[in-house]
Amino acid sequence: MTLIQDRPSEQPPRLEEPALMEIVPGPRPHGLVKYITSTDHKQIGLNYLVTSFIGFLFAGGLAEGIRTQLIKPDNHFVTENVFNQLFTMHGTIMLFVFLGPFAFAGLGNYFVPLMIGAPDMAFPRFNNLSYWLYLGGFLMLAGGFLTNNGAANFGWFGYAPITEAIHSPGPGADMWIVGIALTGFSGIFTAVNIITTIFTLRAPGMVMFRMPIFVWNQLVTMFLILLAFPVLTAAFALLWLDRHLNTHFYDPTHGGQPILWQNLFWFFGHPEVYILALPYFGIVTEVLATNSKKPVFGYKGMVGATLSIGALSMGVWAHHMYTTGAVLLPFFAALSLLIAVPTGIKFFNWLGTMWRGTLVVNTATLFCLGFLACFLFGGITGVILAQPVLDFQLHNTYFVVAHFHYVMFGGSAFAGFAGIYYWYPKMTGRKLDERLGVLSFVILFIGFNLTFFPQHDLGLRGMPRRIETYDGHLGWNFLNLLSSLGAYIAGFGVLISVWNFFHSYRHGELAGDNPWDGQTLEWACSSPPPEHNFEALPPIRSERPVWDANHPDMLTKVGH
Amino acid sequence: MDLATRLLGTDLGSPHGVTTQDQWTRQLWHTTYWFAVPIGLIVLFGIFWCVLRYRHRPGSSRQASQFQYHIPIEAAYTIIPLLIVAVVFGFMYNAENKVNAVSKTPAVKITVDGFQWGWRFIYPNGHQEVGTVANALDINSEANLPVLYMPAGETVQLHFVSEDVVHTFYVKEFLFNRDLIPGIDNTADFNVTRTGTFEGQCNNICGQYHAYMRFMVRVMPKDAYDAWYASQTPCSVTTAGQSNQTTLPPNSCPTSLSTERQV
Repeated sequence: MTLIQDRPSEQPPRLEEPALMEIVPGPRPHGLVKYITSTDHKQIGLNYLVTSFIGFLFAGGLAEGIRTQLIKPDNHFVTENVFNQLFTMHGTIMLFVFLGPFAFAGLGNYFVPLMIGAPDMAFPRFNNLSYWLYLGGFLMLAGGFLTNNGAANFGWFGYAPITEAIHSPGPGADMWIVGIALTGFSGIFTAVNIITTIFTLRAPGMVMFRMPIFVWNQLVTMFLILLAFPVLTAAFALLWLDRHLNTHFYDPTHGGQPILWQNLFWFFGHPEVYILALPYFGIVTEVLATNSKKPVFGYKGMVGATLSIGALSMGVWAHHMYTTGAVLLPFFAALSLLIAVPTGIKFFNWLGTMWRGTLVVNTATLFCLGFLACFLFGGITGVILAQPVLDFQLHNTYFVVAHFHYVMFGGSAFAGFAGIYYWYPKMTGRKLDERLGVLSFVILFIGFNLTFFPQHDLGLRGMPRRIETYDGHLGWNFLNLLSSLGAYIAGFGVLISVWNFFHSYRHGELAGDNPWDGQTLEWACSSPPPEHNFEALPPIRSERPVWDANHPDMLTKVGH
Repeated sequence: MDLATRLLGTDLGSPHGVTTQDQWTRQLWHTTYWFAVPIGLIVLFGIFWCVLRYRHRPGSSRQASQFQYHIPIEAAYTIIPLLIVAVVFGFMYNAENKVNAVSKTPAVKITVDGFQWGWRFIYPNGHQEVGTVANALDINSEANLPVLYMPAGETVQLHFVSEDVVHTFYVKEFLFNRDLIPGIDNTADFNVTRTGTFEGQCNNICGQYHAYMRFMVRVMPKDAYDAWYASQTPCSVTTAGQSNQTTLPPNSCPTSLSTERQV
């Protein structure tokens, strides 16, 4: 490609090089030591991506256990207690280890500096520390299964007072508290790092309104993390004090207030949902724009929508608490319904991005289309659940389970797969196998919908979530059977992609620097990028500098 | 049962409950459908149209148009959804006031008390209907579940309290969930229009036997309920699965419970 100028043959002497040698004497570390000691944002990003994907597979395995237990009524695949551990740790690990860190720490670390033309993150060692805290948190959570009484077993939002020592004795719950607190600190540190990077390390010409939407969404996500995670950590600290130092913050028998936990937890928990969604919206935006060969339609509206989603998401936490009878329903209902508006704007912008483009339908695009379909449906059921009267009917039933899996799995995780298929060439230098990718998508899409679509109906038929077994006379048997079969199919679809990741790492087609005719700066450096990323940058005069350099005849039309 | 009935046996979500409040819930389902189904179909059509019409075909020389903004369209898809949200909110606000309304003079007041793992229903004369999972660990049998007796066609006020952790009172046919939270007193009114027996369940994870924490609601005609109520000795305790009734001494006999803190 033409945009990177060849390095001038007469290179001026570089003053930094000898200094660098002094800082790192002796041979550079390699192998596992290199992975875990590196301060390179790309290596740390990869560490996050691999670790969080292992978390995804682990928690997915727990989900298969849940579905196996529920495949028929009065089943005894696992005991009540183990079942409670399965769904608690499934939720906890999926949210705190996989879905969040995969995007905001993994892809965020790897691609935010590349997309804004920075050599690294603002605080590289701090970045390394974040990863260590995160890994410690993951091991702490998973290690709960090795303890005497097993892992935490009260659901991922652990409503006090069941989390108190008297109801949940044993180290499993403590490891759950510490594990989540560690991942929380890791998230806060990553947020500080990425915000500073975006504000201070943008390349010349990369003004805020030329940043890719992915970077914008990461920025808003990071602010949400800074607002939400400290509250979570504080809530968990109080819970720890309750359990070990005989305080009574959440203990009703001594005047504590269990409802306080719900407020604190959801004050974190609802922004968390958008922390788990906004970066994935960014992925979809980038993939659709690149593969449509077009600029993002309504770029500024898109930024505005992201900002308003971020703002609104701080004021909707109590829509998880409609049935407590202790919240002001109209206020939270109004704000929750309002979120549909910026989300709708994003949808129409995605359609506008594809409109009159030349959409290359590859695996990444397919996952984005799957995302659009599933997220659309999850959004509509979200509007249903945002209305307190309907939530009175549906609260904690399988309808809710179906809704958030359509948002988090069919939505965010599908977009995550799109991100992997889109950026794998940049990270490894090789493309993923397209035929395996399409096969994986088709099987995963079918399996996903077979798993979760029947769960809407199960919820309407009155099946509560988190029950370990059910009466065979209630009309739930057939739908549960469908759902469990779907879960196995979806698991198979995921495994095809996992095989693809391994296989293509050695045998994939060589990608080159810019395999998708990309638009943003990460495609201007080699694949994988060298340390400190760029040798030269194309001029940055719009939000897609690489495209402008490669297609000077197809610049964005000005006006409307 | 054919497949369609199995899959869509719930009238596409538009529910038919057994209380007078269910009309409001059903109305909200309908307003949501009016807006959500067309919008969903439009977006879905847009996705398919873009993929089919504008996908890249090898060998085609068509180039992607490089436009980025179209202010009138963008304004339209910002303002129209705002109006729709306002309308949906209006219906919702009205329905919510109806469903949440609590009468000052209910015909019957019953305290619903949840505990790990079972239910206690306390009537105004101190009679209790109790059941614990110890007697109900067969998930396929409803025989030993505690029973909540209610009259039909009357305003019954349920008062929700919990003795230990958070539970949720959930009866599918009532289209209603309400949490039992220590420290929070909750009340809700029900006016059941149909007699019959309905199954209820705890709907918030409350520990090991959460799945078994079920109960039955028996809605009887008013005179049958009155006869049943008159036949219950004050302060007597009926335990599901046990034939003999016990009676509490009057000084330890609660006529209702409260978990609200005394200020």
